[in-house]
Amino acid sequence: MSDLPRSQHIIASGLIAGVGLAVAYISFTQEPADAFVFPRLISSVFAALAIWTFVKAAMGRTKVGAGLSGLEMRNMLPGLGIALVYAFWAAKELGFYTATTITFFILLTIYDPAPHGAVSTWVKRVLITAGFMAVMYGLFAVLLNVFTPREIFS
Amino acid sequence: MRKWIAGAALAMTAMAGSAMAEGHGDYPERPLMMMVSYGAGGATDFQARIVTMTAGNEDALQMPVAILNRAGAGGRVGWNWFATEAETDGYTLGAYNVPHFIAQSIEGGVDYSVDSFEPIANWGADPAVFVVAADSDFNSMADVVAYATQNPGGLTFSGAGLFVGHHIAALQLEKAAGVELAYIPNNAGGAGAMRAVIAGEVLGGVNNLSDAFRAREAGTVKILGVFDLERNAFLEDVPTMMEQGYDIDNASVNFRGVMVPAGTDPAIIDHLAAIVPTMFENGRVQSRMEAGGSPMHIMTRDEVIEMWAQRQETLEALLADL
Amino acid sequence: MEFLFYMGDVFTPLNFGLLLLGTIGGLILGATPGLSPTMTVALLIPFTFKLEPQQGLILLGAAYTSTVAGGAVSAILLKIPGAPANIATTLDGHTMAQKGDGAKALQVSFIASAIGGLFGVLLLIFLTPVLAKWALAFGPSELFWLAILGVTVIGTLDSSSVVKGLLSGCIGLWLATIGFDDIMGAQRFIFHSSLSGGINVIPALIGLFAIPQVIGMLAKGRKGNDAEIITVKRHPIGAAFREVFSRKRALSIGTAVGSIIGLIPGVGGQIAGLVAYDQSKKMSPDSAKFGTGHPEGVIAAESANNAMVGPSLVPLLTLSIPGSPTAAVLLGGLLIHGIFPGPTLFAQYPQVVWPFINSMLIGQILMCVFGLLIAGWAANVARVPPAVMAAIVLSLAVFGSYSVQHSMGDVYVMMSLGLSMFFLERFGFSAAPLVLGLILGPIAEANFIQGAMIANATVGQLTYFFTGWLNWLLIAIVVMSVGYSIWMELGQRRYTTKEDASV
Repeated sequence: MSDLPRSQHIIASGLIAGVGLAVAYISFTQEPADAFVFPRLISSVFAALAIWTFVKAAMGRTKVGAGLSGLEMRNMLPGLGIALVYAFWAAKELGFYTATTITFFILLTIYDPAPHGAVSTWVKRVLITAGFMAVMYGLFAVLLNVFTPREIFS
Repeated sequence: MRKWIAGAALAMTAMAGSAMAEGHGDYPERPLMMMVSYGAGGATDFQARIVTMTAGNEDALQMPVAILNRAGAGGRVGWNWFATEAETDGYTLGAYNVPHFIAQSIEGGVDYSVDSFEPIANWGADPAVFVVAADSDFNSMADVVAYATQNPGGLTFSGAGLFVGHHIAALQLEKAAGVELAYIPNNAGGAGAMRAVIAGEVLGGVNNLSDAFRAREAGTVKILGVFDLERNAFLEDVPTMMEQGYDIDNASVNFRGVMVPAGTDPAIIDHLAAIVPTMFENGRVQSRMEAGGSPMHIMTRDEVIEMWAQRQETLEALLADL
Repeated sequence: MEFLFYMGDVFTPLNFGLLLLGTIGGLILGATPGLSPTMTVALLIPFTFKLEPQQGLILLGAAYTSTVAGGAVSAILLKIPGAPANIATTLDGHTMAQKGDGAKALQVSFIASAIGGLFGVLLLIFLTPVLAKWALAFGPSELFWLAILGVTVIGTLDSSSVVKGLLSGCIGLWLATIGFDDIMGAQRFIFHSSLSGGINVIPALIGLFAIPQVIGMLAKGRKGNDAEIITVKRHPIGAAFREVFSRKRALSIGTAVGSIIGLIPGVGGQIAGLVAYDQSKKMSPDSAKFGTGHPEGVIAAESANNAMVGPSLVPLLTLSIPGSPTAAVLLGGLLIHGIFPGPTLFAQYPQVVWPFINSMLIGQILMCVFGLLIAGWAANVARVPPAVMAAIVLSLAVFGSYSVQHSMGDVYVMMSLGLSMFFLERFGFSAAPLVLGLILGPIAEANFIQGAMIANATVGQLTYFFTGWLNWLLIAIVVMSVGYSIWMELGQRRYTTKEDASV
């Protein structure tokens, strides 16, 4: 096992152990006690298991989980950023259909391996986006009657 | 073959129809949404779907109403959302259950009270009843109370949750009969509470009249008393609590109706308050409700405002003892 | 044999048209992320207003049947389980699709669904009175032990490390306590207003399964795409039938587990697939193959899923108690037409009930036929380039989780859980045990509290939870299951030590 996953495992299991302890702390301090009987039980087991995992990771005895390589992180960061902006901001503020169209197109542009130089690439990207949006609109707006936020068109 | 095509076409248009309905005038311009704070299939959800089914008609709102379930914690999840996050544009309606939401707001821990909502109209009143399994030894409320007197705190009986109509009825019974009972709130609502009675997990239960009526038809329960001021048309043979000598009024009767969040445009409220009750009076709605064993009780906005204020007072007094 | 007498009613042109419509519509809606069978049936109820009772119920029966099977389509092709029932299907089904065996996975899944489904409906037809008693046998104490049994499955489900499996399960159990608690109404762990309603299972499912996969595809980057052009293998339908029938163990475990668990009110439908999957894995000689695209996993999960459809209606039709959320919605469908379920139902309304049951029987077969027809074509989804796929799955995840309750909060929860799950998966945790915890937590808690309240008023907690043959049986299985997990963990340790030594 190389050093990169090992330190990653330590950080990850440390974070989980932190969450586990925080949950346990909240469970044992919050009132009414009656409503927290079950959370107390769970959080105790949660914290214990999380600490065990952390200790194992610190000793370098973690056996499963590949961790993340630097290349993977560089690859995913732009897409992940767009996905987060889409779900947490754009979908509501720009409206679902506008935001989805933009996000969809940008993701294709960034991750589709076809050459950016060729006109046909761009035509294909526009067509795929338009086709997909038509299906989504047909399914959710027409058939299921889901009223999604559509801010800029309201 | 033609019948086949007709059937398919009928269902197809039905599926697409609600989306295609076009609106005229200012309000409503698009389909409305009604939040029900109980799960799909519960009595409130079922009735809400029936009473809104004619909303798209020319003489009604001219726009369909879609039901949206936000279930959890005896209705608290849905009403909290409705009071704090729902849009006040008039397109978001909600179903209320009284005394549930009023009792919960008095108990505390929620973000709503009667002032958070503006009632539109009431469609139904479902009294609570006391049920026991069909093979139970209890044949009247007197038997139940006698058992409870001999075994203080040992008479287990189920209901749909804490601080809902059933719980109010349970508290009233304890107070009126002067006994200590073991009320077991069920997490699966009225249906779960009824199951507990039929399966013999508990000795009795408080449940909705409509569900109990159906269960009695199915031969699984006996109904011993109605928590209302007078006997119900569905159950002419079942005496009220008052008749059996317990001083219990109609505070636990489950009133169901439509409301909007406070802050909605008064013009829209007036528009809805004028039209929604006529929707409930529609013959098709009435016959479906009747068929489902759901008692109707139509009230206008002004009547509901008065009823809410009255319940607020009664419940404050009742819950103050807790 | 009365049902045969009414079989003709299903084949009148109008009724058969509705049956076809219900089946095809159900498959499409079932495959739509965010639409569980319960929501689909609820959406269809208003359309039955305009129909005769018999026709309305035929439409609903067919739709219920095929939405459950339709959920497998998105589970296999997109790794988005349509409903909790399809979680176990993703484990092997999606891996198969990625290897180019999507056609096979879909065919096998539809055939297994139909077989399990037919068996379940036949149980409903012939054994209803017997089964009704069984459905009532599960009180709070039994349901509590059943939930605990489900929790013990967590450690061995889809995780190479028992400890990490259990830890994933604990995280799920904790997530389930967020929001108002169901009985007391107290607020717990509400850190953000999106959480005030608790974590809804469907958006959580979508996030936990779909988002890690989206991020995983993105992590491969722009250049990575050329390396994996998947050839979608064609798979003859006859071979699929032979495949299913040669996996008799998985098929019978799935069908049996689905039928038995499907009966239990409130629990059945959601965990039948996972329990059947876990049991088949434990009893299979090649249990190591599970999770790597093994057809047995799909067969066990899907046969269990559909086997539960028939039995889940038993308490509704005989006792008028809806045993599952979908059954509750169907109850509404009956009531609207003035039909009260109960012991006299079959005598009073045979012309409605039997065609309804028959429609589920025929629906299973139609669903299988349509499924097999589209399987070869649908499997080509695996050939969609990763960039497009990531964008499609991401958009579907956002739309699907929003449409459950029309709530942006659900979208935020979905995305946050999905992002966390991506990192967790990279460190050896898995989504299936976490979701199982999320589903079982409320069941275990509510039944424990109710049981304790009844016990305090009557016989005392110890007697209440530890007497009765059904409690003993469940406790015994719990002990065995825990023992198996410990044995597995120790065995695994020996194995890895040996491996270390040889290096």
